Amino acid sequence: MRCDDVRKTLLEAWSQDLAESARTHLGGCAECRLYARDLGRLRAGFAALAEEPVPEPSWGFAERLLRRIEEAADMPTFAEEFFERVGRRVVYVAGMLALMLILVLAVPSSGPLRGPTAAELYWTQSDVASVGSDASFGDESLENSDAVQAPSATEESESANKP
Amino acid sequence: MPGPVDQTSEEVQWIKAAQRGEREPFGFLIERYQRRVLSHVARLVRRHDDVEDIAQEVFIKVFRALRTYNFQSSFAAWLSRVTVNQCYDYLRRERASRIDFDWQVHEGEQEEFDTRVERAEDGSPDPERQAALRDLVGKLLNRAPAEDRIVLGLKELEGMSVEEIAEILELNLSTVKVRLHRARKRMLEDYRSLGRGK
Repeated sequence: MRCDDVRKTLLEAWSQDLAESARTHLGGCAECRLYARDLGRLRAGFAALAEEPVPEPSWGFAERLLRRIEEAADMPTFAEEFFERVGRRVVYVAGMLALMLILVLAVPSSGPLRGPTAAELYWTQSDVASVGSDASFGDESLENSDAVQAPSATEESESANKP
Repeated sequence: MPGPVDQTSEEVQWIKAAQRGEREPFGFLIERYQRRVLSHVARLVRRHDDVEDIAQEVFIKVFRALRTYNFQSSFAAWLSRVTVNQCYDYLRRERASRIDFDWQVHEGEQEEFDTRVERAEDGSPDPERQAALRDLVGKLLNRAPAEDRIVLGLKELEGMSVEEIAEILELNLSTVKVRLHRARKRMLEDYRSLGRGK
């Protein structure tokens, strides 16, 4: 038997007799003998601990306990406890949804429906103002372009008189 | 007071009455099982100051959950299950908070253990040897993970069979055996790593 097998056997056997092969190995292996000795110490320690007296219930233990149970007589039943627990979760979820809804409405840029932010509104207004100030140039250029492109009334009459 | 005659049917009556919310029959159940619960708690938790408080919590939980008891397992096993769960929660909380430093083994203590155990094995009176080994294993248990403490406590201190432990922990036999093997091995390794086993 190998050392690992013997040690496994020692742990499994605990307080039972060892197989002959394991005992033979222990006879020739000092390391495994130490292992067995330590295990024996643990076993003896457990046995000594198990002999320690268990504390007796103090005087009036059951009465005090029953009084505590009486005091907690208004404790919720299993069904009440269940519904209370489930109900509490529903309230938490509803609260979270409401909070999310409020956040979506309060912060437009973060929601799926984008609304104009204050900055966007500012720039839009300034764009309108600048377009308004550029309007005269636009008109002139339009007039100029008309003057270039549209033929004059005299040109039209001359061309009509041509054969 | 509960009588010893015809325990099973009597107990069933008490349980059914307590399930309807009656206090007095539950008092009989407390009287009958208080020592068992205290024994479990004392051996699994090993903090004498808290034993009664934990036991009271166990019975309050039992009273509250009694409606869910369906007589599929024995009441004793069901009660032990609630007790073990309560102890497990306590041990995990204690380990997480590390409210005391009793679990630590200091270097001075290591030497003291060595000396005491060696001397005890060299022919000292038996009580001295027993005390040395009891202290040693007590310290090692306090350092062990909650899962190991539960399974070792039930087996080695409460003297339960693997079958009984399996019923209480709602595990199959092979799982209990594996856990037990692992817990013993870990404890032995812890002992040897402290330098005493070499």
